[in-house]
Amino acid sequence: MPVGLSLSGVSRHFDGRGGRVAALSDVSLEVAPGAFTALIGPSGCGKSTLLRLAVGLDLPDAGRVSVGGLSPAEAARKGLTGIAFQDAALLPWRSVEDNIALPFDVLRRPHDRARIADLIALVGLSGFEKSLPGELSGGMRQRVAIARALVNSPEMLFLDEPFGALDQILRRQMNVELQRIWMESRTTTLLVTHGIDEAIFLADRVVVMAARPGRIARVIDIPFPRPRRAELFGTPEFAALEAEIAGALDGH
Amino acid sequence: MAIRAIIALVLWEVVGRLGLVAGGALPAPSAIAIRFWADRGDYPMHVWATMQGAGIGFLIGNLVAVLAGVLFAVSPVAARLARGVNIAIFALPAIAIAPILTLMTTGMTPRVILAALGCYFVTMTATVTGITQTDARMRDVVRAYGGGRMASLRLVELRSAVPQILGALRIAAPAAVLGSILAEFGGGGRFGLGAYLIGSLGRADPARLWGIGLAATLLAGIGYAVFAVIAQRMTASTVAVTVAATPPAGEVDGPVWQRIALAAGSVLLPFALWWALIAASGAPAMIAKTPMALLDYLMLPNKAGERIWDALAQTLPITAVGIALGLGFAFALALGSVLRPGIVRAFMPVALVTQTMPLVALTPLLVLIFGRGPSVILWITVSVTFFPAFVTMAQGLQMVARSALDVPRAYGASAWTVLRLVSIPASAPYVFAALRLAVPRALLGVMTAEWLATGTGLGNLLNQSRGYLDYGMIWTVAVLSVLLSVFFYQVVVWIERRVLARLGMTTAA
Ligand SMILES: Nc1ncnc2c1ncn2[C@@H]1O[C@H](COP(=O)(O)OP(=O)(O)O)[C@@H](O)[C@H]1O
Ligand SMILES: [Mg+2]
Repeated sequence: MPVGLSLSGVSRHFDGRGGRVAALSDVSLEVAPGAFTALIGPSGCGKSTLLRLAVGLDLPDAGRVSVGGLSPAEAARKGLTGIAFQDAALLPWRSVEDNIALPFDVLRRPHDRARIADLIALVGLSGFEKSLPGELSGGMRQRVAIARALVNSPEMLFLDEPFGALDQILRRQMNVELQRIWMESRTTTLLVTHGIDEAIFLADRVVVMAARPGRIARVIDIPFPRPRRAELFGTPEFAALEAEIAGALDGH
Repeated sequence: MAIRAIIALVLWEVVGRLGLVAGGALPAPSAIAIRFWADRGDYPMHVWATMQGAGIGFLIGNLVAVLAGVLFAVSPVAARLARGVNIAIFALPAIAIAPILTLMTTGMTPRVILAALGCYFVTMTATVTGITQTDARMRDVVRAYGGGRMASLRLVELRSAVPQILGALRIAAPAAVLGSILAEFGGGGRFGLGAYLIGSLGRADPARLWGIGLAATLLAGIGYAVFAVIAQRMTASTVAVTVAATPPAGEVDGPVWQRIALAAGSVLLPFALWWALIAASGAPAMIAKTPMALLDYLMLPNKAGERIWDALAQTLPITAVGIALGLGFAFALALGSVLRPGIVRAFMPVALVTQTMPLVALTPLLVLIFGRGPSVILWITVSVTFFPAFVTMAQGLQMVARSALDVPRAYGASAWTVLRLVSIPASAPYVFAALRLAVPRALLGVMTAEWLATGTGLGNLLNQSRGYLDYGMIWTVAVLSVLLSVFFYQVVVWIERRVLARLGMTTAA
């Protein structure tokens, strides 16, 4: 069963050389079970910080974060969450398939070989099972990270700019694939992206953030029915939403 | 390369045949080979004995080192508490405790202990560095799935420390051989290359001494090579061959009383260990001196204090001169290599080869060439300090960013001005690192030469007391040389902190 994510009144600041940075200031967000939410905003507005709080890598200074009613750390220990980081963060000494299997090792579950093979095929890396990360391109490494995020069949999936390193064509393909995966599993998904088109194509809801202090500026619902097809990118309705989000990013 | 080696060999042959060096102290390669063949029946048991001592010590020392390294990486409090012990082990001149080990233990044990001590520091620091430098993003992946520190160590941190640890094992292998040979010098055991070397010292037979020296060098070199190959196979990357001279810091930011308690604990721990080891050994109080018993001994009206002062007055000045010369040459050559990169290319291979050699163990060969006067002490001290200092400083200077050198050049600065403005200040951390490395090595070199050759100073006092069964003096000299070495180490650290703070730099490993 997919689980929901809830942030209420969450703040997190860092003390750096240039004084105090308010990475997140009084952020509240509810993501319903099974929903697909996109998080978009200028760089440095606290998107990655929000994700780190949601998987229990960091604690808020104020406010509450919960995943499926549990604390993020508890949810992680139960294997409810999956995450792909902004940089692939692969272990250089593990082959592609062993990197994908890492969550099983941490969660002390047996390796599900069939699932690993399926995921490798899904992200288009068949034939590279035994390769080391050092032998792959940046885009291929990122796809390994996505497969790794999916391997434990998480109920809540976090993706931090997963397609940032991919070229435009591959990116469109991965968008279509991701939608298919999501429609099959209905995993609750929070996708951080800097592509407006990608956010609209994939999400039920786009959350626009603003920086200094990091906060939510607007939430825009995306009405298009699913499955959405690549033709959608060319429609006037799509262009109108693009313009609206671009405006929100500029602070309108 | 091959051609140069052949030319060198031919030259050596001619020089040896004509007896040009110190009246035949350097025999021709063919003479060494002939002698080696004649002695071939002796070698297997000696080589085997040294290999046993070094090998078992290597296993134990590195196992303890990796476990301790993991502990220090996980617990800053443990690292802070163990700082005194770590510095003492780093700084202790092995030859000074060899007689005690021979008194207190039997058989192979002294060799195993000295070999293990030779390995411990370098592998322990490498483990700590490897673990603490693990890419934080990889740790995050494990933590994001709820993995704790143990899972992170098991899946990520230990594995990512492997290149560092293998790099340390390269250095530890020759150190283990040296440790075993020094224990053999220190007495005990008929077999072993060190025992063989000492036994042959009296019989004016240069070719045999050279044969033994080369065999010891080869043994150490093979140990180095084995781990160099494994390291390259496993990691495809090479870790620098500089030798570590900094124990893990163990930064603990607690309340003041806690930090004072930890500092006091770190000073007392080595003495407590000393006490505990003696209690555990069950050796008679006449032989095994506790710290209190040593104080009693020094109070006796036996002129012990006077003899120690005389010995110190001989040992310390020449140690200081040796360090100054060794470091001075190394500094000049390292700076010269900034002007002429060819120097590093030509000289680094030689310097790196010496890292694989048990240099101090070759003291008897230098005695052949330079005689038993004070000059042999200087030669040994300079050679054991010069090479590691050069490697440390040259590699440090190579890390100075190109752009930092290009800025003054862009304004038309001469090579000397660039040196003065950029390279010399930039080398400060490495000069201090080299100095910390040099102090204990120099003391070891001086004491070994005094013991084996010149009959002066602390080394000789130790050797004599061994002969007179003057247990109190044996302990006093051993403890004093460790304390001296630690004291000078701390003095260097103290100056280093102030100078580097003023220059806005941080300590080099
Ligand atoms: N560990 C940290 N220490 C100090 N500052 C941090 C840390 N993590 C993030 N920040 C700061 O918080 C702000 C938000 O960072 P981040 O969440 O990475 O932004 P985004 O992912 O939206 O680009 C930035 O100003 C960043 O410099
Ligand atoms: Mg980010």
